[in-house]
Amino acid sequence: MEIYLPVAQMSVHWLLLLGLGGGIGFLSGLLGVGGGFLLTPLLIFAGIPPAIAVATTSSHVTASSMSGAIAQWRKGAIDLKMASVMTAGGVVGTAAGVWLFSLLRRSGQMDLVVSAAYVVLLGTIGAVMLRESLSSLRAARGGVSAESRRLRHNWIQRLPLKDRFPASRLYISVLAPVGIGFAVGLLSAVMGIGGGFLIVPAMIYGLRMPTNVVMGTSLAQIIVITATATILQSFGNHAVDAMLALFLIVGGVLGAQFGVRASSRLRGEQLRFLLALLILAVGAMLLYGLVAKPADLFSVMMGAA
Amino acid sequence: MRAAVILFAAAFAASPALAGENLVSGLSQDRIEIRSTYNGTEITVFGAVERPESGARPDIAVVVRGPATDMRVRHKDRVLGIWINTNREILYCMPGYFFTASNRPLADIASDAVRRQYGLGLAALMPRAAMGGHDPRPFIQAAIRAEERNKLYAEEGKGVEFLSGTLFRARVPLPASAPRGDYTADVYLLRGGRVIGKPHESRLTIDQTGTERRVYDFSRDNPLAYGLSTVAMAMAFGWLSSLAFRRME
Repeated sequence: MEIYLPVAQMSVHWLLLLGLGGGIGFLSGLLGVGGGFLLTPLLIFAGIPPAIAVATTSSHVTASSMSGAIAQWRKGAIDLKMASVMTAGGVVGTAAGVWLFSLLRRSGQMDLVVSAAYVVLLGTIGAVMLRESLSSLRAARGGVSAESRRLRHNWIQRLPLKDRFPASRLYISVLAPVGIGFAVGLLSAVMGIGGGFLIVPAMIYGLRMPTNVVMGTSLAQIIVITATATILQSFGNHAVDAMLALFLIVGGVLGAQFGVRASSRLRGEQLRFLLALLILAVGAMLLYGLVAKPADLFSVMMGAA
Repeated sequence: MRAAVILFAAAFAASPALAGENLVSGLSQDRIEIRSTYNGTEITVFGAVERPESGARPDIAVVVRGPATDMRVRHKDRVLGIWINTNREILYCMPGYFFTASNRPLADIASDAVRRQYGLGLAALMPRAAMGGHDPRPFIQAAIRAEERNKLYAEEGKGVEFLSGTLFRARVPLPASAPRGDYTADVYLLRGGRVIGKPHESRLTIDQTGTERRVYDFSRDNPLAYGLSTVAMAMAFGWLSSLAFRRME
């Protein structure tokens, strides 16, 4: 049965939407990521206009992050102070991102910028994760613990306006989390992602937060960022399709539960290895789209931008 | 459907004879309502030739146009190995949907000049104006190609079917992506490459109803509240799933 999407103004089979939401939800439960970075390209692939895919994915990430964050909250694994400080930067970044989004949409370069940003981000992060997980896998086989050695000093430690974050046992400048929040908020709005795959490494390697509070804290702030993006995208760009969101979310929260169960059967470095492969595959697909000669050199957009 | 055609023909056959050869036409539906399971539809244009002249059968061309829209057509060039949109033309007042049907290919029925004058066929389709500073022709052709791929533009050279000497019909496919708004269906009578009399026009409206309409209106009329409710829905589902998850543990 086809479902008519009132804002996208097209019809899509409901099983495709549930399946997409469920598949991404499964991966997000399995690998601990929001999955927005996969969902947006897949929706565009399924024929949803890019603007609507980006904006609607935000609400899907809100739902899956909510589900994960509540579980983490029960474990006491959220540093609320850190999350709030990051969110402050994040909301400003998101607003800037939504503005940039409508600017790009008018100029006709949105698809290019979104694809190029994905290629760079996915390529870099995928490569780093792949290297790290491969060396962990090798070390695990050799019986040696491969706890990655963190840098002794980095420029983040030298920033002013230092404050205490007791839950993370840190004394660092508030500018660092605000800056990370801003950058991720900006990308979140332009690319329709939660940004978990950016925040988590930034928290571990940049801020040196203890790993046990990283996941919960990043989820908590992703909720606020993607909720802000959804509201601003509705308000500024009329690009959120609630019917599309509903089907993706229902599929997503169901899939996530199966993903979480499956994840307990795999080891951390195996999961990271899988995620790295997935990230690189999506990046390669998007790169191909940028460099391969399009079937038609012209593209057409109906109506006012 | 056959019965409807006969009734239709009988009604028009009864109209008084005033002038020469002429035609009448109508649509199987004048209003299409989009509901949640809408996946496009098909309408039929019916018509009859009144007071047919003896001799060869006349030609019939049906032109269905959707609400006018502006189109932004962009051309990609390779810059540093990447395909980037470089040139742009805005085509003003292009139909959001365009379909022509005729009893035989339009090129066989009328000359280029006649087809352009009456807008018969895709080759005769022109925007009201083009802006961008380029030769608009390749951009117009690109727009037509793109809309043909989207099934929003089509030309059926054998789309008009004569049911008798004077009765004809044409099936008009309307995909789900056909824009909402007011449509016109013009039927032209041609003989010897010339348009006879005035085209007969019918009107059609495609509109959303029910939930779809309310969701769409909500997103336009009160975008802030719409965004907030989408977020509330997302959070509620996230919360519910975590509750269910805890139950199962």
